[in-house]
Amino acid sequence: MQTSYDSKLNNATYDALKAFQLNTINSSTSDLSNSKLRDIEASVNSFFNSIASNFNMAGYNKDILTSYVPALVYTMYDGYYIYSPYTNTLSEEDYNDESTYKPGERISGLKPYIYYSSRYVKGGIDVVISYTLDNYITIQGTINGNSVMEYGYLISDCSGDGENSATYRGIPIGTENLTEYGVEFQENANGEQIPIEKKYTYTKVNGVKYYKDGDEWFSILNGERYKQNDFKEINNAAIKYYTKAAEFRKFIQDNNLDELTTADAVDEEGNKTLQDRFGNYKIFDFDGEIAIEEPNSNFNQHRLAVIRYSIEKNLSIAIANYNNYTDSTANFQMPKLSEDEWEKITNHISIISFLQGLNIGGKVYNGYSIITNTKNEEVVSEDSIYITTADGTYHKPTEKSLENQAIIEGVLNIDFERKSLTSNTGVATYFFPKKQLGSYNSIVNQTDVEDVDNIYDYMVEKGGILAKSYFTALGRERYSMYKTNNNRAEMIAEFS
Amino acid sequence: MGDTLITIIAIALAAILMFVFPLMTMSDRTDDISQLAVETATTEFVDDVRTTGKLTLDKYSKFVEQISATGNSYDVEMEVQVLDENPGKKTTQANSTKIGENVYYTTYTSQILDMITGTNGQSKTLALKEGDIFSVNVKNTNSTLSQQLKNFFYAVSGNDTYTIAAEHSGMVSANGTGN
Repeated sequence: MQTSYDSKLNNATYDALKAFQLNTINSSTSDLSNSKLRDIEASVNSFFNSIASNFNMAGYNKDILTSYVPALVYTMYDGYYIYSPYTNTLSEEDYNDESTYKPGERISGLKPYIYYSSRYVKGGIDVVISYTLDNYITIQGTINGNSVMEYGYLISDCSGDGENSATYRGIPIGTENLTEYGVEFQENANGEQIPIEKKYTYTKVNGVKYYKDGDEWFSILNGERYKQNDFKEINNAAIKYYTKAAEFRKFIQDNNLDELTTADAVDEEGNKTLQDRFGNYKIFDFDGEIAIEEPNSNFNQHRLAVIRYSIEKNLSIAIANYNNYTDSTANFQMPKLSEDEWEKITNHISIISFLQGLNIGGKVYNGYSIITNTKNEEVVSEDSIYITTADGTYHKPTEKSLENQAIIEGVLNIDFERKSLTSNTGVATYFFPKKQLGSYNSIVNQTDVEDVDNIYDYMVEKGGILAKSYFTALGRERYSMYKTNNNRAEMIAEFS
Repeated sequence: MGDTLITIIAIALAAILMFVFPLMTMSDRTDDISQLAVETATTEFVDDVRTTGKLTLDKYSKFVEQISATGNSYDVEMEVQVLDENPGKKTTQANSTKIGENVYYTTYTSQILDMITGTNGQSKTLALKEGDIFSVNVKNTNSTLSQQLKNFFYAVSGNDTYTIAAEHSGMVSANGTGN
């Protein structure tokens, strides 16, 4: 029984993830935080629908099952949402007949977004550092009485002039001319809208793609074209990525932030009680043997510890609180997750679901499921860059036979996914932005793939065009993804 | 004379009732327990592969060991359906209104075993990707005690009848290599 329930829970969580994936990949608006909430709520609904239909045989319906799910966790790029019941805090005076919920009513919903952050105090430094799933961080607080708000990527060895050239560990980073396919609707003689496929030059700024058609630049929102000001055709986002990272490194070193150690982390009361958990070592160790962006660096070790501490703490509170909200006699407790599972959670966007308290004859079911999301626009991980070659296929960057092939460029994995576009009269069409086919050695099957722990070292060792394409694509995609810190107008000005 | 015959029949019947039927019931229960154990092991094995995206000889051997611990021998059939989106992509290119169709091609037990066994019988990893389908089908190949007894009394013979069987399958939800 336990195993078959585990299986069903797994399937339901996978369904929820698939719903989230489909919505985010196909929606041109999903970078905005309100539509992200909408996508997550849709995903929560599909989770419960799936649970309900999976368990129908056992005679449970959706309403009953809802009371056995103490929490759903959606981990995102720089924080996470917990879906669990809470008490509505609407005050009596503000309540009227048209209010959706009553004051003090128990409702299930998404709780406020929690950032992966930790506060550090040392001498004149009092800052909160917010981490993400990659090497991007935000530093807010005061340094010697001056308030600071800085953000950027942490990279040990890089330099650049911001416009034309940059190097990363001695590998030159190039500019690119990006193209992809799109669809345009044209009316034929019968007044029907016919989708026509076209190849556009494009540039991506703050998560939005801007295409060039003839002399005009446009963006697409909800299937409609919006004319935009001109952009540069040559994309140098990767150069900006490495240049900005070098500037950010200088900021940290100039302000002695690199002296911060994990023992300077303080808890919510301002006491240094977290040393048992985080140990004591330098967080920003730029000169160490291991580059700061590599997976086994001090920074990454600490980053994972902070993320894990934050999720663990808030999740166990949410699950423990669940006992106050349920009529079930079961005692809800946070299960212990294994190291492998934490690794999955702290490196990918994922959904964690819990199902507890179902009676399975002789004992009470207590299970959870973790499903990770590898196809999304939220995070550009080291694994999400594929390499295209002249024979019209795309490969994993770690494919063994790649060196014998003519490499063209690095591409983000979701650009190979099918997209849909609906015209203003409701005609839907599907298309692939990139035409390349998956390699049978590394994409369809994964038989010819090098087992690489540290892709940075691997690429530097390989060198040549492979390393250049890979690091350029990684920088370009990271620099042009949507981030809450970005100032959209400034970003657009940089590329036009 | 007639009495003796009836007595003998009665004794024989009594013997069957007193010894054989309890034995049959007992051996039936044993099979039920084996069945449960095999089902659980199969589900766990498949779900493990499904959630990690990795199939290794180690995992397979451990699974076979687990089910063999029930005292029977089993025929384990594995099947991996590899998702290939390329043909669908080609059709969409020809006509952009058509939705691409996914094609699966299948590898079976012996091919899978070849792929997970290294040169010196070492364990190799077969990496699956998100969207592939993995299924396992297990049947007992020996005849269990309960099968033997049933065959003897009810003469329900036939070599391919099995009493312990389990199957589980599902979509892989993680990429076996890194990502």
